[in-house]
Amino acid sequence: MHLNYLANISRYIPELILVVLMIGLILIETTYDEDQKNKKYIFITATIGLVLALAALLANLTVKSEAIFSNAVVIDPFSTTMKIMMVIGTFFSIYLSRISKEIYETLKTEYAIMAVGILIGGMLLASANNMLTLYIGIETLSILSYVMASFKKNSEQSSEAGLKYALYGGISTGLMLFGMSHIFGVLGTIQFAGLAPKLQQLTTAQSLILMPSFILFFVGIGYKIATVPFHMWAPDVYEGSPTPVTTLFAIVPKLAGISVLIRVTMIFFSAKSLIRIEWVGMIMAIAALTMTVGNVTAIGQKSVKRMLAYSSISHAGIMVAGLVMVNEIGIRAVVFYGITYVFMTLVAFYITSIVQDEHGNDHFERFTGLAYRYPLMAITMSIVMFSLTGVPPFAGFVAKFNILTTLIDSRNFSLAIILGLNSVVSAYYYLKIVRLMTLKQQETNDSIKGFGFLNQLIIVGLTLPVIVLGVFWENIFSLANSAKIFLQ
Amino acid sequence: MHGLDLLSWILWMPFIGMIGVLLLPKASEKAIKTWSLINTVITFLLTVVLYMKFDTTQAGMQNAFNVKIPWISQFHIFYALGVDGISMPMIILTGLLFMLCILSSWTQIKKSIKGYFALLLLLQFTVFGVFLALDFFLFYVFWEVMLLPMFFLIGVWGGENREYAAVKFFLYTFFGSILMLVGIVALYFATGQSEDSFNILALSGGKFTQNTLMLFGHSLSFSKLFFIFMFIGFAIKVPVFPFHTWLPHAHVQAPTAISVILAGVLLKMGTYGFLRIAFPIFPDSAKYFAEAIAWLGLINVIYGALCAMAQTDVKKLIAYSSVSHMGFVMLGLASMTIQGVNGAVLQMFNHGTSTAMMFFLIGIIYERSHHRWIVRPDGTYGFGGLYTQLPVYSIVFIIGMFASMGLPGMSGFISEALIFIGMYEKYTTITVLALFGLLIGAAYLLWMFKRMFFGEVNPSVKDYTDMTTLEITYMVPLCIIVIWFGIFPSPILNIMKASVGQLVSLLATF
Repeated sequence: MHLNYLANISRYIPELILVVLMIGLILIETTYDEDQKNKKYIFITATIGLVLALAALLANLTVKSEAIFSNAVVIDPFSTTMKIMMVIGTFFSIYLSRISKEIYETLKTEYAIMAVGILIGGMLLASANNMLTLYIGIETLSILSYVMASFKKNSEQSSEAGLKYALYGGISTGLMLFGMSHIFGVLGTIQFAGLAPKLQQLTTAQSLILMPSFILFFVGIGYKIATVPFHMWAPDVYEGSPTPVTTLFAIVPKLAGISVLIRVTMIFFSAKSLIRIEWVGMIMAIAALTMTVGNVTAIGQKSVKRMLAYSSISHAGIMVAGLVMVNEIGIRAVVFYGITYVFMTLVAFYITSIVQDEHGNDHFERFTGLAYRYPLMAITMSIVMFSLTGVPPFAGFVAKFNILTTLIDSRNFSLAIILGLNSVVSAYYYLKIVRLMTLKQQETNDSIKGFGFLNQLIIVGLTLPVIVLGVFWENIFSLANSAKIFLQ
Repeated sequence: MHGLDLLSWILWMPFIGMIGVLLLPKASEKAIKTWSLINTVITFLLTVVLYMKFDTTQAGMQNAFNVKIPWISQFHIFYALGVDGISMPMIILTGLLFMLCILSSWTQIKKSIKGYFALLLLLQFTVFGVFLALDFFLFYVFWEVMLLPMFFLIGVWGGENREYAAVKFFLYTFFGSILMLVGIVALYFATGQSEDSFNILALSGGKFTQNTLMLFGHSLSFSKLFFIFMFIGFAIKVPVFPFHTWLPHAHVQAPTAISVILAGVLLKMGTYGFLRIAFPIFPDSAKYFAEAIAWLGLINVIYGALCAMAQTDVKKLIAYSSVSHMGFVMLGLASMTIQGVNGAVLQMFNHGTSTAMMFFLIGIIYERSHHRWIVRPDGTYGFGGLYTQLPVYSIVFIIGMFASMGLPGMSGFISEALIFIGMYEKYTTITVLALFGLLIGAAYLLWMFKRMFFGEVNPSVKDYTDMTTLEITYMVPLCIIVIWFGIFPSPILNIMKASVGQLVSLLATF
């Protein structure tokens, strides 16, 4: 047993690399003085570490699925795909933190360390195969997030964001733990493995306890991915946190939460049962609410970051909607959505961050006439906005199309129509940015320092997948298709 | 040239043109314009080649030209193109109008030349895509992508209220197409995700008459529900009565060339959608709703004409006249008889040329006057006595106006007559009422003409110069067309005859 425990450690190399990286970063950070050099070393080390982790993940992608560490952690193509996207997101958010003015110079090194920490938590969540791992993952992710939200120490908003995040987080994880303990009570195990036969032999009384427990369980996850009605923290935290942190929050915890939700849904609810019907009903209601509330509230926003926060809520709703069909087709759609969402979010936040650094705030007006100063940036931002709306030939359209396919396949026409109408509503506020950038004349002729050659190159590079995935999506779609969950 | 390549060449030529424009430096405006012109001329010549090679005896898609290449094989999505008698007139019209629009934009567009011509060519690419696509997914992609260049063309180069118009246009059309998308995906599953799930031709023929589905707890007819979805999607584009409110804004705010494209080609995409998709796929529901469609068409005719009469802005007047004329197309479609549908397709072509003339002419006078008031808000005439000052302009205007009015001997007459012949037996009341639309049409056009061209010469009109050589160059082809097809419409009628016959006989079986 104990020998077995470490026998599979080779499958866990990506996480190990990150742990070593985090320790290494802490060592470098404390050994050298706070100067430019230190920041450079940190960044280079982080880059090397993340690239190594990415390589290890890619190697893991093709190897067969298995549960390791006495079923505590599962390595399957699904979790590996999600982890790859998280690593990409983290890398670019660390780069953004380097160029952002919102992160204090003295904190840039810490940013990288904590981002890697959050990434480790997220990866643990994506692989969690029992409730304990799941809980540890959530806490690793959350505690570091609370610190990062209040990174701008002197800003009232940022401190408020941190506190709010911590309070909400504490309550929701508490509720989640409460729910999990009941699930343990009914099923007698914290393992996800080998549950399927047990779930089919539930008595009515057991089902009656189980469903409320799952609702409580959902509170914890729903809070991480910001679904309505657990979304209240998101706009304040997104707006208050420095933009690189927001970028990280919009990607890693969201993908991690979605991964957990997918895994739990697949493990507990893929077989026909009473609780499955209730769970799917809840998912449907939550998805419809999340999409609608996110979109409708986004309309009136004045701050671009806040708008993006609400829009990310609605996108979470769309991803959750894909789970209504509890099978591999639904998962495929959600994974594809997650992949495209990462690129769109990165570009949107990159440009917002740079514009915000120049002008000191992120109001919509700051984008006025951008097309006349930086046509390329305006084009990329427009592409991403159209993509988020769901206009072909961009990736966002294909992603939404796949979710829509899932919904109609499972005969959820009403949810499909709600999704469609929400796209129209979202078009209004996404167009607002496009409109300001291109249709209005510029106010000033000032150049924006952030749009140097390298940054423009990175932004264009991140936009390319948005276009390519919109036209030639077959290959990535196959990747999403092979991202299967390991069911025991 | 091998037949297989021809459709792809027509489709991708404007795209190549757009890439070329993007590669040219911003400052070399002359080169950009010349390149765009050459590109559109080549495209137009290719469409003429297609017309020459067209086999008029063959109903349905022309086998010689079909293209089918897998795109996303997991979903059975194909890059499938084809042309038949219904799309052929539209393709020629698109090729022609875009070429003329490049000429008209030559002097009228002064801001961001490079962006304008690149977007115009992108627009042409997507319009060809819509008319050529035989794969439903491909069709939808082109249908939607078309919004992007239109949004910017109206929004950046339009009039004072351009932003509002652009956003309204975008949101309206996007709303319609989302409903259509739901329908497309539903069809995909209704056919069992087979090889032909996105194949427009394979879906046709009324295969979904028996299907039902549950929505909000009610059992509904699959065919009827999705016919309504598709109807709304296409009706917004036409625009059919309650969905028409975006049109006057978009038309008035858009620059001349874009108004021409909008009225000349884009509105036809809506009616083309009925002919290619909504009617053949759901013939039973089309039959079921035919009378309702006819009434809506009648409202379009009368309401559009009355609105036009009330306008004091000449461009808005022509915009509403488009609503009225597209109503005739809807009437022809609703009749579902050989004459009626032939008339409708012919009216699509004829309206494309005659409205294009009107919008071009308004653009020309706007270049000189910088206003479009027939009657200014303070009650004085904006123009007056143009006839004595601008003789050439006036003659061209008269030709355009009479073509639009449907005077015998002009192109509009033939198509409207065919529509009335086609629908008289089925909908006698509606036909009689619709005839009043013609009367109102003549009234508002002549009244407009009287106030602008006759009467006392307005002092400001005296400085206007007559049409330049460039302007005459792009008006002459249209003048010839509206007269020639008024006398001798068979070149177009022959092309569409077989395909329309096939569609009508399909509808007759339900």
